[in-house]
Amino acid sequence: MLSKMQRHLAKDFMRIFLRDRQSIFFSLFFPVVFLSIFAFIRGGGAEPIPLGVVNQSDSAAAARLVEMLREDFAFTVITGAEDELRGQLIAGEQMLVLVLPPDFSDPAAPAASLRLLADTSQFNQLPLVEPMLEQKLMMIERESRGEEAMFSIEIENVQALSQSYLDFLLPGLLGMMLMQLSVAGSGYNVVEFRRKGILKRLFVTPIMPRDFIVAIVAARLGIVLIQLTVLLAFAVFALDARIVGNFAEFYLVAVIASVVFLNIGFCIGSVAKTQQAIMAIGNIVIFPQIVLSGVFYPIDAMPGFAQPLAQVLPLTFVVAALRDIAVAGETLAQVAPSLIGMAVWFVIGFALATRLFVWKEVAA
Amino acid sequence: MKRSFMRRPSDTELCSVAGRTTCQGWQGWGQSKPLKSRQGWHEQPHGIHKNYSENMTEEIAKPPIIRAIDLVKRYPLPEDKSRSFAAVDGVSFEIHEREIYGILGPNGAGKTTTLEMLEGLNDIDGGAAFVDGIDVAQDPYGVKKIIGVQLQESEYFDKLNLIELLDLFGALYRRDIDAMELLAKVHLTEKAKARPANLSGGQKQRFSIACALVNTPKILFLDEPTTGLDPQAKRRLWELATELNNAGMTIVLTTHNMEEAEFLCGRIAIMDHGKLVAEDTPESLIMRHAPEPPEAPLHGNIEDVFLALTGHALRD
Repeated sequence: MLSKMQRHLAKDFMRIFLRDRQSIFFSLFFPVVFLSIFAFIRGGGAEPIPLGVVNQSDSAAAARLVEMLREDFAFTVITGAEDELRGQLIAGEQMLVLVLPPDFSDPAAPAASLRLLADTSQFNQLPLVEPMLEQKLMMIERESRGEEAMFSIEIENVQALSQSYLDFLLPGLLGMMLMQLSVAGSGYNVVEFRRKGILKRLFVTPIMPRDFIVAIVAARLGIVLIQLTVLLAFAVFALDARIVGNFAEFYLVAVIASVVFLNIGFCIGSVAKTQQAIMAIGNIVIFPQIVLSGVFYPIDAMPGFAQPLAQVLPLTFVVAALRDIAVAGETLAQVAPSLIGMAVWFVIGFALATRLFVWKEVAA
Repeated sequence: MKRSFMRRPSDTELCSVAGRTTCQGWQGWGQSKPLKSRQGWHEQPHGIHKNYSENMTEEIAKPPIIRAIDLVKRYPLPEDKSRSFAAVDGVSFEIHEREIYGILGPNGAGKTTTLEMLEGLNDIDGGAAFVDGIDVAQDPYGVKKIIGVQLQESEYFDKLNLIELLDLFGALYRRDIDAMELLAKVHLTEKAKARPANLSGGQKQRFSIACALVNTPKILFLDEPTTGLDPQAKRRLWELATELNNAGMTIVLTTHNMEEAEFLCGRIAIMDHGKLVAEDTPESLIMRHAPEPPEAPLHGNIEDVFLALTGHALRD
């Protein structure tokens, strides 16, 4: 593994990064805000509809209907007297109140009519709610007459996992953030150290470029893993995101991804002579990947001409592997094709980084 | 071939640092040694040389610790990248063990580039350099292990304190070092937990020297060590250099400070436009190049020599 000298250097780099509180804060602040915004925008539609139920009947059928409504995840049911719930509706505390009349399900009476109270100008989900209620009433009707339904829809659960957009997005966003933190982390540091002459001072000693690259990659890796853990914990605990697969395998992929991107960052840091240049080159490397690597939507949905390029970008492999583990619960063996893609990029990145790396001052 | 160049300040001389600023107090005045310069000023009418320790004669007998042979460094011209100019243009010299050797020259003369080629920090475009028998071009890492370097402008990781930085440099040489002892050597123990940004100019330079000493080098390179320092800090640094030299270290330094060159250096090389224009002991240079009146045994100072050789035109 690392030599004693590389470990010492890595430890000091880690210290340097950790003592830079401000940049740590901002490196976490933006991804957290970003994740929250996406979770918020996409999460709105899934909220259950609050439903007030006034049950004036004491029939078994009425009780059965209330029970069925309670079981439905689409509603949160509150029961009460009509006056009380109507008052709440007018006060804006209730959206929808369903009244079951006293003669509900009396076989002697003419068809009972249920009343649904709502301010239709405020509540726009009525077209959604009405068929749901009707369907429940039909089921009760059939049950009470002892009839078999003529038709039935059987739902075969093919993808056993429900997938919200946040669940889809999270691995993509984490992959993207790994890329940005790593590319910026190594590339920016190299340019900054070189500009200040720190690199030159270091290379007065018999240190090899390899030692320097290994040490800084190791240190950055530690930092990126901390950042990843914070983001993941935030997504899982605060935003209810789900990681279906194995956490350890998810982390392992993240580690490999960081190493790949740190090496790419090194290449950029070696090519860029100034801080402005690294921003520009960094963006050229980062932006197409954000757009093309399936972070926000599947690559299949992309125009055909872009797909061949999109398929081989480093971030594509990273996001695919992370997503397959997090969403589909696949194992490392199953994501092997993506891992091979990452390995190829690692070899390319490391070879270029050690070759291109210059510690000497470079004329701007 | 007999050469003479050494001067190592005695204790009395060190005292004179505090008292006098000129070279009038040097001992060994008139001690005659035949001088021979590689520049071909063979006539050596006065043969003036300051005293030097007897053991230096042994050092002269040994092969030089540094040999620069026709060193050349070319850079592309800023205005026309297809053409190049020689920043260092065929520079040769030899430096012996335990010597303090000074390189003087106006800005842009090629002093720093010359040092960097010796230190393995800059590619050698022509000629060769040997440091302690090692061909620098062949094995720059071998050279780096045995030399200590203070760069003209050194920045350090600002988030680390002095102890941590020294330990780090020790690790880069694969050594366990006593950071406090090194700081004591440069009188910075009370700043052990300070960060480099909080050091004064003089403290920064002394810290740079401490960093250059972590591998107990055979040769110490100092690039303009006192530029920008106040007189107190400057003297402190001279004392430090003298102590190190007394302990047996070879020191190569560049400077703009003529007083410094006269005080510290056994021999001085003057560079201009990438070439070595003179090389000798300070006294011989003064004898030969300082302007009138010629009757005086020693008149003028190294600054006069410097201006006589490199002219009065302003450099950047």
